[in-house]
Amino acid sequence: MDPKLLRAQIERIDTLPTIPSVLKKLLAVIENPKVSLTEVGNFIQSDPVLTSRVLKMVNSPIYGFPGRISAVQQALILLGLNVVRGLLLGVSVFEVMQKSMVGLWEHSLGCAIAARIIAKKKNISEPEEISIAGLLHDIGKVVMILRYKEEYEEVIKEAETKDLLIIEAEKSIFDITHADSGSWIAKRWNFPQSLVEIIEYHHKPSLSRSLPMQTAIVHLADLLTRSVGFGFSGDNHVPAVNPAAWELLNLSDADLRDIFDEMDDAFSEAEAFLIGDES
Amino acid sequence: MKASRPIVVVSRDIVLTSDIDRLVRNISSPLFFRDMKSSLDFIYNCNPDFLLLDIAEDRDANVRILNDLKSDPIFGHMSVLAVFPDDCELPAWRELLADDYIRRSMIECELLKRIELSLFRAERIVQINPLTSLPGNITITRQIQNRLDKGEKFGVAYADIDFFKPFNDRYGFGRGDEVLKMVGRLILNMVKEQQPQGSFVGHVGGDDFIYIMDIGVIEETSRKIADYFDKMVGTFYDAEDREQRKIQSVDRAGTGKTFPLMTISIGITHNQHREFAHYSEISTVASEMKHVSKKVAGSNIQMDRRKA
Repeated sequence: MDPKLLRAQIERIDTLPTIPSVLKKLLAVIENPKVSLTEVGNFIQSDPVLTSRVLKMVNSPIYGFPGRISAVQQALILLGLNVVRGLLLGVSVFEVMQKSMVGLWEHSLGCAIAARIIAKKKNISEPEEISIAGLLHDIGKVVMILRYKEEYEEVIKEAETKDLLIIEAEKSIFDITHADSGSWIAKRWNFPQSLVEIIEYHHKPSLSRSLPMQTAIVHLADLLTRSVGFGFSGDNHVPAVNPAAWELLNLSDADLRDIFDEMDDAFSEAEAFLIGDES
Repeated sequence: MKASRPIVVVSRDIVLTSDIDRLVRNISSPLFFRDMKSSLDFIYNCNPDFLLLDIAEDRDANVRILNDLKSDPIFGHMSVLAVFPDDCELPAWRELLADDYIRRSMIECELLKRIELSLFRAERIVQINPLTSLPGNITITRQIQNRLDKGEKFGVAYADIDFFKPFNDRYGFGRGDEVLKMVGRLILNMVKEQQPQGSFVGHVGGDDFIYIMDIGVIEETSRKIADYFDKMVGTFYDAEDREQRKIQSVDRAGTGKTFPLMTISIGITHNQHREFAHYSEISTVASEMKHVSKKVAGSNIQMDRRKA
């Protein structure tokens, strides 16, 4: 497919749907008159679509902070509870669900958690912002599944039959990857440049010019989340860590052990939260 | 809803004026004038909120004076209701600077509600800061004075940004405006979250903001505002400055100097333990508290605990 055409079509997307289990929880949040900004924020930043919706609004030129805000809690403070309530009211869900979607949502949440843990280990000053980048790193998959449902099913089939990674199958069928489509939509929605860059290079962290460390963190968080089997990103096996990124991160065995320990705790907590949804 | 200042009625029609007198008696004691010319002296001195103009007679002269009056921003907020005879064609609104109109035969059933609505609307939308869309000084003064007049107990907080000027010099006005918008939204949303009813937020101008809340919640809310300000302000700097937590800029004398990241200083006062009669007294004390707060490094709030 022609990348220019794909980009034009993707950039026309104004809103993404979420998965049904989130919607149920969302209504409970909106209808609670005593809900606090922190509670709403924690809920929103567990879902890539809700997060991108809030960031899109606060970074729109109309609101006055274009390309500035990448933390959900900050976005909520600037938008206010009433605006956010209205924003959440308009959220829709996928009409036809692929069973892999829930897995993708869990993978995104897992990557957000892992990215925050690694960022803290590396003493990065704004771990929340890297966590959001982790949450949104695969937003391009949501975009492609929404816009090109049948073609994307082919991607999954192709990956399975030829034993390719999803990203390789995307490349062979679309000539672009979810990293491209994700960065296009992020740019189109005026997300901060740092977010756009991390989304664009999370599979090739050594290409990131201005944020090599942050991109390497999300890259590693993506792989670690897959390696412990939290959620499902679409791939049955875990690709290798980019050597340059690994070198840049410079994590000792003890660091890694700490990271895995913390991920373990955080993931069981998140799992309880997700299972709580199913009822 | 009662009009705080008298309503001005310009008409020569005795039947109409006596109808109006009877209809609005409960909310205001109207002042009657034969024509616009004779009403001007009163309008200049009292700056009324509402004027009712009968279009039936002396139309050209009245409209000319009205339009001159309304084109001065000081009288722009005065709400003008034009009364038209039933059979009269309506003019182009460009030629008659009215805010609303009513037909003569509708006076009996509509007038009171129209006046109430227009007074209420004026209260809501008076003088908005174009950058933050928050109400400005006239509304702030009125908000505080009304509460004092009613004998309410309340807290007033004055907030301003430290090291805003060097930031503006370093990054330009556009970026400075973003910070002001951020502070306006931050204060508004925190105040409304903590106290949805009966609170008020205004933008004095520049980097000065004011808010009114119940005494019991204003200190805690101010602390939250300061915390969030500190969390958010880094976002508005370039990565390098943000990392170093300082910027190179020039001081007031034009000398190059290093400045810390912006912080917020908030001074709070209230009338729990002492009486304030006038707006200016309470704003002076709040401003003093803010200056105390500014002497402390970092974001800081100072609550007035004096009793005299």
